[in-house]
Amino acid sequence: MMTKDTSMKKHMGMRAANAISNTVIHIVLAVIAVIWLLPFVFIVLQSFRVENTWQVGYVIPKQWGFANYKNLLYDATKGWFGTPFAKWYLNTFITALVTAVLQTVFVLCMSYTLSRFRFKMRKALMQFMLILGMFPGMLTMIILYRVLKDLGLTQENAVPGLILVYVASSGMGYYVSKGFFDTIPKSLDEAARIDGANRAQVLWKIILPLAKPIVIYTVLTAFMAPWGDFVFARYISFGSQAGMNVAVGMWNWLQLDQIGQKYTMFCAGGVVVAIPVVILFLCLQRYYVEGVTGGAVKG
Amino acid sequence: MASVKLTNVKKVYDNNVVAVHDFNLDIKDKEFVVFVGPSGCGKSTTLRMIAGLEEISDGTVEIDGEVVNDLQPKDRDIAMVFQNYALYPHMTVYDNIAFSLRLKKLPEDVIYAKVTNAAEILGITPYLMRKPRALSGGQRQRVAIGRAMVRDSKVFLMDEPLSNLDAKLRNQMRAEIILLRQKLDTTFVYVTHDQTEAMTLGDRIVIMKDGYIMQVGTPTEVFEMPNNLFVAEFIGAPKMNILKTELSKEGDKYFVKPCGAKIEVTGEKGRLLQEKGVESGEIILGVRPEHIVLASEPVENAIPCTLEVNEMMGSELHLHVYTDEGTRWIVRVPTIDLTSEQREGLVNGARLYITFEGKVMHFFDPESEKNLIYGEE
Amino acid sequence: MRHYSDLEYLQLSKGRKFGYRLASFFTGIPKAIWGFIKKIGLWFKNAGLAIGREAKDIVTTFRDGDWKTKLSYLVMGFGCLARGQILRGILFLLFELVFIFYMVFWGAHWLSLLPSLGHIGPHEEYNAVLDSYTTTYGDNSFKILLYGVLTIFFIIAFIYTWRVNVRQNKIAEGILKSGKKLKSGRDDLRSLVDDQFHKTLLALPTLGILVFTVLPIVFMILVAFTNYDGAHDGYISNLFSWVGLENFNTMLSWTGGGGVNYAATFGEILGWTLIWAFFATFTNYFLGMLVAMAINKKGIRLKKMWRTILVMTIAIPQFISLLYVSKLFAKNGIVNGILLDLGWIRQAIDFWGTTNHNGLLPRVMVILINIWIGIPYLMLIATGILMNIPADLYESAKIDGASGWKQYTKITLPYMLFITGPYLLTSFTGNMNNFNVIYLLTGGGPTNAAASGAAGSVGYTDLLITWLFKITQGAESKYYLASVVGILVFIVIAVISLIVYNVLPSVKNEEDFQ
Repeated sequence: MMTKDTSMKKHMGMRAANAISNTVIHIVLAVIAVIWLLPFVFIVLQSFRVENTWQVGYVIPKQWGFANYKNLLYDATKGWFGTPFAKWYLNTFITALVTAVLQTVFVLCMSYTLSRFRFKMRKALMQFMLILGMFPGMLTMIILYRVLKDLGLTQENAVPGLILVYVASSGMGYYVSKGFFDTIPKSLDEAARIDGANRAQVLWKIILPLAKPIVIYTVLTAFMAPWGDFVFARYISFGSQAGMNVAVGMWNWLQLDQIGQKYTMFCAGGVVVAIPVVILFLCLQRYYVEGVTGGAVKG
Repeated sequence: MASVKLTNVKKVYDNNVVAVHDFNLDIKDKEFVVFVGPSGCGKSTTLRMIAGLEEISDGTVEIDGEVVNDLQPKDRDIAMVFQNYALYPHMTVYDNIAFSLRLKKLPEDVIYAKVTNAAEILGITPYLMRKPRALSGGQRQRVAIGRAMVRDSKVFLMDEPLSNLDAKLRNQMRAEIILLRQKLDTTFVYVTHDQTEAMTLGDRIVIMKDGYIMQVGTPTEVFEMPNNLFVAEFIGAPKMNILKTELSKEGDKYFVKPCGAKIEVTGEKGRLLQEKGVESGEIILGVRPEHIVLASEPVENAIPCTLEVNEMMGSELHLHVYTDEGTRWIVRVPTIDLTSEQREGLVNGARLYITFEGKVMHFFDPESEKNLIYGEE
Repeated sequence: MRHYSDLEYLQLSKGRKFGYRLASFFTGIPKAIWGFIKKIGLWFKNAGLAIGREAKDIVTTFRDGDWKTKLSYLVMGFGCLARGQILRGILFLLFELVFIFYMVFWGAHWLSLLPSLGHIGPHEEYNAVLDSYTTTYGDNSFKILLYGVLTIFFIIAFIYTWRVNVRQNKIAEGILKSGKKLKSGRDDLRSLVDDQFHKTLLALPTLGILVFTVLPIVFMILVAFTNYDGAHDGYISNLFSWVGLENFNTMLSWTGGGGVNYAATFGEILGWTLIWAFFATFTNYFLGMLVAMAINKKGIRLKKMWRTILVMTIAIPQFISLLYVSKLFAKNGIVNGILLDLGWIRQAIDFWGTTNHNGLLPRVMVILINIWIGIPYLMLIATGILMNIPADLYESAKIDGASGWKQYTKITLPYMLFITGPYLLTSFTGNMNNFNVIYLLTGGGPTNAAASGAAGSVGYTDLLITWLFKITQGAESKYYLASVVGILVFIVIAVISLIVYNVLPSVKNEEDFQ
């Protein structure tokens, strides 16, 4: 009787402790959620502020309206979508779309090959790419800018130039998808080869259908990167409004000479940029999680 | 339907590890050959070289008289069943089996006929529209076999096809493979680490170790006339009992003296020893557990020993005993041969006496481990 | 240091065990470096031997070959053509013709100018038509360097192709001698989607890397040995020329930079870069793991909601969140506004040090905001790994009587560290080069008065990478200095990686997990 009683007390104690700790964790999580969401709530609120356009010390607008959004897309002389922002948005969107397709092709080619073929230079190639990755990529911009300029792919023609820069070296980012390919049993390749498929057919008919999650992950990350890229885009557009992406254009809005007129527009622009990307991301979240987890584990 | 000929085939990996040394084998048309050996003996590597999945470092592989060294797997006209089945997870059973036929661009009605026929033979017709992950292990196995079957290829390769199944299913599938073989009537090369599979399936067995062929022969040959100690121990379960002892020649007769007993070599073995001109000296004696006779009291030439473990297998008993010198032996006794009192007496620590006949013994050279009678020079 | 055997080690006290392991880590570093040097030595030795073998093979192939082979030494692809391998032959021949054409018309020119990087700079020249002096441009150092490097690449490619051409002849002779048939052009094409499929797949990605990464890196390494800057842009302002190791001398000596102490500046920025990378990596790592564990704990509700809130922030382009947050904490920003309204402070806090030029608070701020940026990502990774830890490990630990904390330190943490070892390394080096967070938050500021005079106004939160960027901006743009900084960043990262690679088991045995 005695022992049962004490064990029950112990049990109750554990339960109570657990309940307390769970409550604490819930509170902490709530605080975290607030901290993480608050800036985005602020940005949305301020994008609707119309009484003034500069930075102020309060959050809730005194006067609500869509003026900032209209200013983003409506130009007094050129009409709707005649604004620089519309141009930047289009630039970024095209860049992101084309990059997503081409980069995925490059990355898949590289990672599939490194995962499946054992050729003579394989190890050397991987080590070489590892070493290349240790050089700051920014260094190469100086020369790439001048070369692209000679080719006429800078300033107002920055979009194809930028795509070229993003895509050309993207094979170096093969780690994550190679890790995924490594998990697909090699005997599937072998079975298909015995069944009469050549290597290209193996890739096309067997591996790619199985690699759907990693293909989506690669497309998603490749699509998202151009929206946030600042330094390469700034180099290549080099001051030309027509060639900028949203990051470069909107960065200028927050510099000292413009922030007074453009602060609330920046907020509205941020919302317009973020919404499609966030929606796309949330839809494909599952694949993204799979990719980053696998990638981190595989190195 | 073709012969397979391997001549001086060698496999060296990039890190200079030699997986297969100088492999020579002539597989006849419609023969069922089994490669068997412990893991890492090179049996799978050899099979994969025949399939074209592994590069051949040296030597030639011929299928039907044609050297296939430089041919891709798809051009070798072979079919293969993998250990983990390697079914395409994103395709239905039907599509899995039809995959190779579609690559050959056969008309769909021919494909339909072939696939349904194979499914009928293998009893997987109800699952044709399922994906592999919705199948049990045995069903997946059948699909894998079906996929290989429809190709009507010259050679049928199987790489440990049963090792992922549980024991009961394995026995059942083993029997089915024998039936299948009768139906397909083609050349089979089968890899396994399980000597029972090898013995029951193979027309000929190739026993391998560390990349070398230890012996090639029919099941009877490798069981009764093992070339060397390795084959003797590897084939047969429980494995052969081994003892280092003395062989003495007294006139025309040979005797062995294990653990104080003195047993004459009788029958053909005595004659063969004489023919080979074997002299007295230290040898390794091998006796299969089923050839040992159990006695409950000391008879002439019986070796006294103590029972350590008694494994009741159902139809037979496996008795693990140790002699007074400490040698451990296994004795296999049919349950039916023992009265119930005798069986009750077989408790740990029981004193037993074992003996065996002169004609069942195997003799091996202690240095080379070659069989003194059948070992090839 | 005394070396303990396994059994001796087990008898040590806890403290001495730790001390021993720490000591062996550090005493292991010289050994690792020495091992690396030896490896490089071995590599050179093997490379030398390989070249020797190749040379010997080239000679013997010529000696033993038939006339078709011998002629192929001069006319690439001749052997292939003569033996009926038309496609290969044409490709070889075409490559040789293109090479010769290029070298005669351009390559030789660029190559001859490479040692000097050009003789004639921009100058005034009398123009008879206009009857006045106009500026005439001469050589272009930039192009000379670029095309010079390209030409060298091309020559290497040619030598390699020539070697392949020679080997092809030897192989073809061997095949014909053994009575077999040579591969036809059709076979060659077919093999490109089959046994040679990897060449097809790799062609574009490696070409891209070669042209857009390797070539620029080689170029920029060379720039470090020139005086290429705004005033010597190689064409319009002035030619630039080779200066040897002068730029390294400038960067790494106390007095070399024309009165500016670049070594001290570099040292300070490197120090902060390392501190930043350390905190940015490990705060995110541990806090992210903590959040993941909190969300995954049994009995926590709305798991999916908590996760989605955090994950959503990953999707918002960083430039928006970073720029916005940096303005949030501005002197006249919302945070100060709210705090003033609440009466918690009397004066706006200068979070970014823009007026008081104090570096400490901005540095703390960027680390804190980086936590805000990084935790959702780490939470995702940690969740994935935590779910993969075999449950029986915890069960057996519970049966062994381990408390929650013990389970964390003895199972969760070692498992995470082991599995994410390579990730931590890439994350560390990635943070060293984390341009976006720093540049978008502070732009490198506040200005560091101690480093005034150094190229690219140096700020307290500047990382080497943002400094490098700043150096290349503006009219001065000392590209040669940026290049030196880039090379030094590479060396630092390479050394860190080397040490970690030699210590971390999961990095070393990466292949074991496959």
